[in-house]
Amino acid sequence: METPRYFEDIPIGEALRTPARTVTEADLVRFAAIAGDYEGLDRTGGAPGAASAVPETLIIALTSGLGFRVPVAQPLVLAFMVLDWRFLTPVRLGDTVHCRMQVTAKRALKEGGVLVEKREIVNQRGEVVQEGEYKLLVARRPRT
Amino acid sequence: MSGDDRQYFEEIQVGAEYVSPGRTVTEADIVAFAGLSGDYNVLHTDAEFMRSSIFGERIAHGLLGLAIQSGLGTRAMSRPFATLAFLGLRWRFKGPIKIGDTIKVRIKVTDKRETSKPDRGIVVLQRSVVNQRGEVVQEGETEVMVERRR
Repeated sequence: METPRYFEDIPIGEALRTPARTVTEADLVRFAAIAGDYEGLDRTGGAPGAASAVPETLIIALTSGLGFRVPVAQPLVLAFMVLDWRFLTPVRLGDTVHCRMQVTAKRALKEGGVLVEKREIVNQRGEVVQEGEYKLLVARRPRT
Repeated sequence: MSGDDRQYFEEIQVGAEYVSPGRTVTEADIVAFAGLSGDYNVLHTDAEFMRSSIFGERIAHGLLGLAIQSGLGTRAMSRPFATLAFLGLRWRFKGPIKIGDTIKVRIKVTDKRETSKPDRGIVVLQRSVVNQRGEVVQEGETEVMVERRR
């Protein structure tokens, strides 16, 4: 395993951009099955011929995974603590989204430390469709 | 539309409470969510590594808990809200969800307010995800835009 980064290794202000991912019907169907929420599969509403809007929480799920696909070693995350999130505009099937992330604050605790990350989800037209903050508990460097 | 039994903004009562059925979170749910999201963090996928962690075993993704409670929420209400849009959430992951845990969601309407547009209003819901021991493992607030009757 690649050496993870610890709390001490991560600079405030570090900005990263993930690869992009196209949101497909397969994603929509798999998410409905996992969540047990099939409302996103109802196509009776909306303009004829328009692509379906996808559940907002599916986009959070897909972009959380994108967050690991950046060209730096991963922080050793011990827990996801807080998600503070705004949905600005719908994402539709066939849209391609990526994520911009920036560490905005750090707070050391006795065990580990809290990283605050601002995240923006951006579509293929450059529009920010969702934005918010992750607070993650990250391991501190072990004392040797 | 015939048979529209949805709750419109005017009918939603601040203080109304709902409790969902329970759902047992399985290893299959975690594997499926890792595959969908691409989040293969060791917390969720490496049983050997996690044996020596503070949790002692793999735990569910926090966002899997968020997804499952949203599905449970649709089963908590016999008459769904006439929701136009999901506006945002403030969410705290307070404790682990482990394989075999059974969770349900408690939902309470805590606020509603009109907007500048006469055809819609904002409703605020407090949601608590509770396990089989009564421990709150996740909680937070969601805000939705709901249609008004015209």
